[in-house]
Amino acid sequence: MTTDMKPAANPARQLKVDLRGAASALLLRQEATLVLVIVVIGALATARNPAFLTDSNLVEILRSSVIYFVMACGAALLIIGGGLDFAAGANFTIGALACCILLTVGAWVPLAILAGLIVGLAAGMINFLVITFWHVPPIIATLGTFFVILGINARLTDGSDVLPLPSGFTQLVQGNLLGVPNDILYAVLTGIGFWFLLERTRFGVNIRALGGNRQAAVGNGLRVVRLDLALYAISGVTAAFAGLIYSARIGAGQVEAGGSSTTLAVVTAVLIGGVSLLGGMGSITGVAFGALLLSVIDNALVVAAIPPQYNNIVVGAILIAAVAVDHLRRQRIYRRR
Amino acid sequence: MTTTPALELRGIKKSFGSVSALSHVDFKAYAGEVHAIVGDNGAGKSTTIKIVTGIHRGDEGEILVNGEPLRLRHAAADSQDRGIAVVYQDLALVECLDISSNMALGNLPRRFKFVLDRARMDRDAAKVLKDLKVRVGDVKTPVGLLSGGQRQVVAIARAVRMNKPIILLDEPTAALGVQESAHVGEILDELKAAGKAVICVSHDLEFVFRHADRITVLRLGRSVGTREVAGTSRDEVISMITGLASSDLDGATTSNAVYDEEQELL
Repeated sequence: MTTDMKPAANPARQLKVDLRGAASALLLRQEATLVLVIVVIGALATARNPAFLTDSNLVEILRSSVIYFVMACGAALLIIGGGLDFAAGANFTIGALACCILLTVGAWVPLAILAGLIVGLAAGMINFLVITFWHVPPIIATLGTFFVILGINARLTDGSDVLPLPSGFTQLVQGNLLGVPNDILYAVLTGIGFWFLLERTRFGVNIRALGGNRQAAVGNGLRVVRLDLALYAISGVTAAFAGLIYSARIGAGQVEAGGSSTTLAVVTAVLIGGVSLLGGMGSITGVAFGALLLSVIDNALVVAAIPPQYNNIVVGAILIAAVAVDHLRRQRIYRRR
Repeated sequence: MTTTPALELRGIKKSFGSVSALSHVDFKAYAGEVHAIVGDNGAGKSTTIKIVTGIHRGDEGEILVNGEPLRLRHAAADSQDRGIAVVYQDLALVECLDISSNMALGNLPRRFKFVLDRARMDRDAAKVLKDLKVRVGDVKTPVGLLSGGQRQVVAIARAVRMNKPIILLDEPTAALGVQESAHVGEILDELKAAGKAVICVSHDLEFVFRHADRITVLRLGRSVGTREVAGTSRDEVISMITGLASSDLDGATTSNAVYDEEQELL
């Protein structure tokens, strides 16, 4: 006796899919939809002001997406694993400030960078501890640590920028390699690393399992607490790393940088990029396009001389559309037979 | 067969707050047999399985695997390490992952220490499904696209793939039709022939009487007796389930005792 494991036939659905054709299937891939949206916005902006398509402006768009993307890589992994980090904007700042304060007192550059990353790691681990051992839901726990860390940031600096920073530090970001700005290189390397982690390692499959069905992950013997720890730690480190890149780019540790706007932008980039808030699903390439789209919208509105108030309206509308598309994808995958 | 039970439970107790789920459960399952656990709803069958697999933590009692104690408070990974594979009633599948990832979950093959060996994972999954006579279109199909019966077979195939000496199945035929149930029965028979200790929780007495060697009956959180299938009747088992028949706890000779004596003689 045999059991047929081919997905059960559903003639009505099959017909529907055939009629929609390949274009519809392509649109259901978040990356393809995002590329289309980016091209449309770019075309509209270029029509209003051809300066949008200049090399220097395109590089600027890429550079401004770096911060969102680097942070979004860690945040995406966490959300795919079923977590959430609303403290990312504050971790961004405290990591940068820790590094910049050490640099201003003459610390060796690699040591200061390491210290900044360790502070981010510690902030991520605090989130993990609060969530796991005090059983506080992630959204509340990370919102709480967000405010605590913001307060610490203000206390550390008395609200003043931390500067001057040594050129040995700023050049790590402001320099370039064969004409490619270093910050773009860092983002590419981060993206490749996270893509590999998610798509080519056991860790990647395990975090999809954790986010997709936590009970199943436990039942299958996954060490879920260790996975949670790793995810919150990684989110903290990527936020701090993005903060370091930002500080080196502007040559100062800014207490006003990061905060709630950065947190929301990163979560938005992740969700627009096709990562499901329900966990399990998402890709780093999608997140890259999500971060790029935010940057394109920022830039296009400025170049096209459209009032900045429209930025929030456009981003909000795209976010809603992205989550609606995510719902469609889930319906497609989770449909019951 | 060996005289040491592959899995033995002694006096397992478990309460959820003030509610007592298990007040005294014990049974012995040996390698090379299918041991069914039956009982009415709320008898404690699934709780017993979950204590063995580490999902729930037992309050009192002992779990012995091949004669060696397994802590009552252990993680699911520990029971896997001790040679126990399980098919949960809710199947514990991840819908957004494909068939081969689900089948390898918890034991994903790797290269160079941490790189996922995707090709081997797909190959292993396809081979296990083929061995189980399950036709596969593509092992990369997301489990969310499969029907209930197909998911059940994937969950069973996952336990088979793990190749552990003890396999626990919680209601493996609950979502299946007649043909699919028969197929699962064949798989259980093959596992038994391969020398595995197969412990199967089921409501389906017809299935149990067709494939099990012994039956342990749970009632209101207690194991009320173990019977050899060849020496009992469906009426007796039903009477034990409903409480109409006297239980071994009232002094009747247990099948476990008889079975142990037989094992000693072998």
